[in-house]
Amino acid sequence: MHHDFLDRYSRLDSPIHRLPTALKLALALIFVFVTVALPLSVRDWFIGLTITLIGVVALSRIPWLFLLKRLLFLEPFVLGMAVLTLFQPNGVRVFATIFVRSTLCLLTMVLLSNTTPFSAILKVLRRVRVPALFITTLALMYRYLFVLVDEAERMHRARASRTFTRETSRVHLWHALGTVIGQLFVRSTERAERIYAAMCARGWR
Amino acid sequence: MKDETKTPALQVSNLQFRYPDGAEALCGVNLTIAVGECVGLIGPNGAGKSTLLLHLNGILPERLESASPVSVFGQSITAATLPMVRRDVGLLFQDPDDQLFCPTVFEDVAFGPQQFGLANERVAAVVREALAQVGLTGFENRSPHHLSRGEKRRVCLAGVLACQPRVLVLDEPSSDLDPRGKRELKALLHGIHATKIIATHDLELVVELCPRAIVLDHGKIVADGPTIELLNDEPLMLAHGLERPHILRHRHPH
Repeated sequence: MHHDFLDRYSRLDSPIHRLPTALKLALALIFVFVTVALPLSVRDWFIGLTITLIGVVALSRIPWLFLLKRLLFLEPFVLGMAVLTLFQPNGVRVFATIFVRSTLCLLTMVLLSNTTPFSAILKVLRRVRVPALFITTLALMYRYLFVLVDEAERMHRARASRTFTRETSRVHLWHALGTVIGQLFVRSTERAERIYAAMCARGWR
Repeated sequence: MKDETKTPALQVSNLQFRYPDGAEALCGVNLTIAVGECVGLIGPNGAGKSTLLLHLNGILPERLESASPVSVFGQSITAATLPMVRRDVGLLFQDPDDQLFCPTVFEDVAFGPQQFGLANERVAAVVREALAQVGLTGFENRSPHHLSRGEKRRVCLAGVLACQPRVLVLDEPSSDLDPRGKRELKALLHGIHATKIIATHDLELVVELCPRAIVLDHGKIVADGPTIELLNDEPLMLAHGLERPHILRHRHPH
């Protein structure tokens, strides 16, 4: 199954991939923070960053189409909220600001996660003394995201294989979706208990 | 059995356990396992095998009482002895995805030794050794979710072996392995000299690895004795959801 939807290209070999993880992480964080903090009137930063990111994409050999799809997938979460600003005076301007900022930030993070293996990022975080609890949570989240997706996929398949009609009724569809989400939640909590037991079995306290 | 003065590796006396939802899982289990034994724990689904195994290194019960019915190398499991017990008893879980919780194979195998406070160079050496033992040298930087089922299972085993346990407790180690995986697992387990308890439905594995078998059903031990003798007892096997394995049919006419 496609276990790599998050960071498919993180193990490529390119000048960008070979940069030290700490440097990439620091730069990404600076890019994001400055982009969020600066007003849009500081044109130079935004243009400069755009050019930099385009350069990074070219050097990293990550396919453009992949990045575009990833952005299209992520943008609605941010822009969905931003749409509301269109109804206020001067809304278009606010919307444009949010659009530019979110695109740049998302692209930065997508690039980071696709040029750096996640375990390497965690190692850097550990070195700069990020609290262990936080790192453990991140590590577990990354690890089990895939298991969870697999599980959802298996459930979806199992359901599809027993769906004999081309069910078009919305109610049915929503009902099925609700069941899947509920089941997923129950299975996840049970798995969490088993993982905790497995951690304890090897001396976790 | 022969050497009465030696303390047993595991002793369970009148172990009872009820799950919080009221389901009775174990009702009075008595069990003694000597150092170096390899014991097969068999029984139908829902007999309480996994529940019993979880008691052997103190995962269950969640709240320890002063006098635990389980003792490991003569030590009763208490809050004070728990860290030692967990080091002595290595537990292999049924689902590898539950057990492999780290982002890389190396980190996962290193988890146990790190918890026990080994120095970093020692940890690296132990991990290398454990991975070599299960035939996965070079897998250090792989992510668990990229591995095949059999490989995951072997990484789990390496993670347990890296803790250098004196007792190895395995829950369904051969389920969902292909025949080659099973063969390799058998050879691997055969080469490990710790005391072993293997819960499984794979009766051929029991015949090949375990001189002694224990049949558990409805939370009680219904039979305990030499494997060949028990598994040849067709009425007993059938009464408890098991069967006489084919290799015995061909081997022992009597």
